[in-house]
Amino acid sequence: MSPSLIDILFRPDAFFEHGAQEPESLKIPALIVLTGGILAAAYGYLMGELSARMMAGMMPGMDAIILISAVLGALVGTFIFWAVAAGIFYIISTFFKGSGSFNRVLEVVGYGYLPQIIGSLITLVAAIQYLPKITVPVLTKSALDDPEIIETAMAAFMHDPAMLELTQITSLIAIVFMLWSANIWIFGMKHARKLSMRDAAICVGAPVILYVVYVIYSLGAM
Amino acid sequence: MHTINRISISLLILLIAACIAPAGAYATPESIVAAGKVYVSNASFDPGTFISGDTGIASYTVTNANTDVGIVVNHATLSDPSGKVRVVAGTHQSSAQIGPGKSHTFTFTISADGADGYCYPVFSLSFRDADSLFAREMLQIDNTPLLLTVKDKPDAYTAGKKKTIHLEVANPRNNAVENVIVRFASDGADFTPSQVYVGTVSPHQTVPVEFSITPTKEAPVQLTLDYYNGDNPHSVTMELPVVFGTDKKAAEPVMSNVQVTSMGGTWHVTGDVNNAGLETANTVMVTALSPAVPEDPYKVYVVGALKPDDFGSFEITFRADDAETVPVKLTYKDDDGNVYESIRDVRISASGLKIETTGSGFPVVPVAAGIVILLVFIGGWAYYLRRNKK
Repeated sequence: MSPSLIDILFRPDAFFEHGAQEPESLKIPALIVLTGGILAAAYGYLMGELSARMMAGMMPGMDAIILISAVLGALVGTFIFWAVAAGIFYIISTFFKGSGSFNRVLEVVGYGYLPQIIGSLITLVAAIQYLPKITVPVLTKSALDDPEIIETAMAAFMHDPAMLELTQITSLIAIVFMLWSANIWIFGMKHARKLSMRDAAICVGAPVILYVVYVIYSLGAM
Repeated sequence: MHTINRISISLLILLIAACIAPAGAYATPESIVAAGKVYVSNASFDPGTFISGDTGIASYTVTNANTDVGIVVNHATLSDPSGKVRVVAGTHQSSAQIGPGKSHTFTFTISADGADGYCYPVFSLSFRDADSLFAREMLQIDNTPLLLTVKDKPDAYTAGKKKTIHLEVANPRNNAVENVIVRFASDGADFTPSQVYVGTVSPHQTVPVEFSITPTKEAPVQLTLDYYNGDNPHSVTMELPVVFGTDKKAAEPVMSNVQVTSMGGTWHVTGDVNNAGLETANTVMVTALSPAVPEDPYKVYVVGALKPDDFGSFEITFRADDAETVPVKLTYKDDDGNVYESIRDVRISASGLKIETTGSGFPVVPVAAGIVILLVFIGGWAYYLRRNKK
């Protein structure tokens, strides 16, 4: 495909038109997703550290488990997201009689993940700024006997003003860069599955809009 | 021979008469009348009331009321038939003339040997030209000592804390005592002042005395009341126990209604301080201790003075990472300036947490921003698709 990654961001139609003539290759998309996964893991580490601090007193080694889970979860979750998103787009595109392999869909979804790296970087900077301001309630062993205490702690943690601000900022960043990715995915799906512009927009737009609506709803429900 | 004997006997009688003449030669009716106008005009004792064993002065002033005749006195003595008073010194054996209208004072050093009671020492004065003069004055021996009373003292003491003790010196005697000094001694306490000079205490007078004690260990305090009855030193001692414990009347500030909230990483602890004691708690202050790090605006909250049953509110702010509880220190001073402190652990973990839902509730701005972004995206694509269709 195009050697210029900038084209993915600003001229996706031309990028994928050219790329459709090239053999399928998941190497660069996988690297893009891996980069996004590493950034997500870094963010997960920062958030996991807070959670670990909150629950360290409940059980010995709990903090390590939480940290490892947060890092691995974010890293693996990025690849799962890649596959799931590609699967959803692929399935929806079958209703529009799309043709083209799943690997090609994976490829375009991987390329389309590039804005997520920028979003993750901004999110990481915001987290570094906000996380030290968050007050973390500490749970002890006694909390194991009283689920209400854990609920209260989690509620207090999530309602911390700094946490609220961070969540709002990261949600908006996620919406913006998800829509940017969606924009790329639409053009990618058009060429990968040989769809019309309208069908490609529906394939990608429908699940992405649902996701964004869910994020906005979550923002309002906080 | 008989004549010679008669002459010899007559000469012997004359000689004897001549020898006896000076003693009674001037005891004329006039001199006896003049002696009758001599009297003891004043008798006094110092101290006014003796304590057994005391030595003092008895003074008798003899006045010659004659206007034109001097009186010669030649022997003054003092004696006590009851034996309660003994003359130590001062018997006057020499002659002296008391001019008309003049007085002469005879002093005797006496010692009170008897027990409590009254006695009447006899003062006698011999006249050269008349009989003697006798006078009896009452002298009281009273062994009642001065009273040292503790008017107010702490119920209990605390090591290193200064407390004030109020005493009263009372003089139940009928005479004034002088150079009254109250001294304090203990091998486990410091005193301020180390002694108190009271001075003269009049009969039936009370004098307040106060001092401060700072005990370092449980050891009794020796209170000594020194005083002089005349020139005779006396003392009264008293032992005051010092027992460490809780003062039942002491101020007792108690924290209540403690609420914990978290704002932007800073913990806010608010509550009330009630004085459940019987004395005023001065300069009540509240602050958080390590692991908490006090932060502005309320690193330390000064509640001020709290009278018994009074209360005041406080608010402190601090940061505390990785802490489940934070010790909150409450300090106050008593009337002597001693600083007392009590520490209470306040839970800042989930179980003690009050969830503070800050802001206006629904996050209008971020939600609106999200909707706008989404609408722009949808609108932009709708426009793009329509334009491409054409």
